[in-house]
Amino acid sequence: MTRELKFESPSFIQRLKGMLGVDFYRLFHTPLFYIFLAIAAIIPAMVSAMTMMPDQNGQTMEPLYSNVWQIVAASKSLYVIEGIADYANMNMVFIFGGIMVSIFIGHDYKSGYVKQLFTTHAKKQDYMISKTLACAFAMACMCITYFVGGTVAGLLVGYETDVNVGSLIIAILGKIIMSLGWASLYTFLNIIFRRYFGVSIASSFLFGTGILIIGVAAIVERLSLPASFLNIFLYGASVNANLSSGLGALIVCLLVSLVWAVIYNLAGTVILSKCDVY
Amino acid sequence: MNAIEIRDLSKSFRGMYAVDHLNMTVPVGAIYGFIGENGSGKSTTEKLICGHLVADSGSIKLFGKDFTDAGVRVRVGALIENAGCFPNSSVYQNLRMQTINLGLENPDEEIRRVLEIVRMEDNASLKFKKCSLGMKQRIGIAMALLGDPALLILDEPINGLDTDGMRIMREILVDITKNYGCTVLISSHILGELEKIATHYGIIRQGRMIMELSAEEMDSRAQVFVSLKTKDMQGAKALLRANFDTVREEDGYIRVYDVDDTAAIVDTLMKNGHIPSEIKKNKIGLEEYYVELMSEKEDK
Repeated sequence: MTRELKFESPSFIQRLKGMLGVDFYRLFHTPLFYIFLAIAAIIPAMVSAMTMMPDQNGQTMEPLYSNVWQIVAASKSLYVIEGIADYANMNMVFIFGGIMVSIFIGHDYKSGYVKQLFTTHAKKQDYMISKTLACAFAMACMCITYFVGGTVAGLLVGYETDVNVGSLIIAILGKIIMSLGWASLYTFLNIIFRRYFGVSIASSFLFGTGILIIGVAAIVERLSLPASFLNIFLYGASVNANLSSGLGALIVCLLVSLVWAVIYNLAGTVILSKCDVY
Repeated sequence: MNAIEIRDLSKSFRGMYAVDHLNMTVPVGAIYGFIGENGSGKSTTEKLICGHLVADSGSIKLFGKDFTDAGVRVRVGALIENAGCFPNSSVYQNLRMQTINLGLENPDEEIRRVLEIVRMEDNASLKFKKCSLGMKQRIGIAMALLGDPALLILDEPINGLDTDGMRIMREILVDITKNYGCTVLISSHILGELEKIATHYGIIRQGRMIMELSAEEMDSRAQVFVSLKTKDMQGAKALLRANFDTVREEDGYIRVYDVDDTAAIVDTLMKNGHIPSEIKKNKIGLEEYYVELMSEKEDK
């Protein structure tokens, strides 16, 4: 049989729609996403309701928090944490999210499905953008379940509810917006370590903890730069969205998240284009 | 126009060439049998065509366009090493994802169509990990067939299949080239099976294309021989050697090469008192031709 061979190039939007469609289909049709949504809800509930810390004298145990919203965000920008209470807030979603992104992308490679994607998608940027957007969506959803889980637990325990509502909303929105930047970082890390599933999970976890900000903070201190300089980093901007934040923090989150998303996407695209994809 | 045109393609891993300045031409509508030993560069070439690996140098054109052209690549289907399916998803879900990826209209109709082609229409709800090897290979073909591909690249699709599985796969491949006008590039170790369907051959060795030929050319090059058995094998062999150019004793048979006229051999034997107990006319198959070609190259 002979037939006319027509090759119509799909537009960028058509290509991205196809790739995004696959990622969202996978997200909603596999248990991974729902498991991580549940984790994001259960962990803050457990931390808020069950964690006890010794008091100042170390004599008696008292609850970690006194206010419901402390599980959502810290009361001020704490770039370098001093205790578990500073740490256990919605920024934890970026750790769970990192692991989820690693598993999500890792499955592409482990199953071999990535071969189907790269055979039909000559443009590697499609993969980077699609993964970043799908994973950012998943992390944003995790932020919401985190909020629900943490709040319900805090209310049930009977913590105080005093808060500046505007700052609370800005803190939550800021962290949701930061999901884009974090998702792009994790997508990039998983592209670098695409042949090593364990390493990609470990690296995502390491970056997600924000532990690397300690080194940057030391440099900033040594150079006598203002601490707000740390806001240009993903972790810095994430902690900057807190219970005393104003609208400026939200704008910082938006800019930082977008800029890093573009940087990581470009870098990931270059790596995928110049190196063997698996 | 050629479906695949490769010029001077090279790819090395740690300084060792896996594909070494390879040239390759696959005509449109062909079933191109890509033959070579393990590690000869077949899979690497296929991965390069699919854009999974980045070449050191050289060019790849698909249907006259650069292989990175999005319009061409969306019409390429591939089964490289495995089906590339998510094990915990069903056959339907895996195919559905690929229809979304390709932006196909009427996905369910398309999925039904490809499952019918690979004779798996009753297994759509089965989890991929529960499928047998043969089924997985057929699902891989079904994935590759989605979206009306103009070119199919199949890496060892009949490996590990039983006789029935091989027959089904053979029928599928012939069906898709005849009825859907698809060009197929297929690599396989099972040359006997390849011989039954291929219209063209490419023989690769140590990353280099050593020969490309059509099935007709292969046929014309294939030696014809008559093999026979008699009571007095030594006497008959001496007699035949005196009358014919190439006579050898192989595998318990006397083989008289490049002779099409069985009657002349029987006549010679009978006149000299040798009665053949068994006689048949054969043709050297692709496998023997390939082995001979490889040993020639090795000798050089």
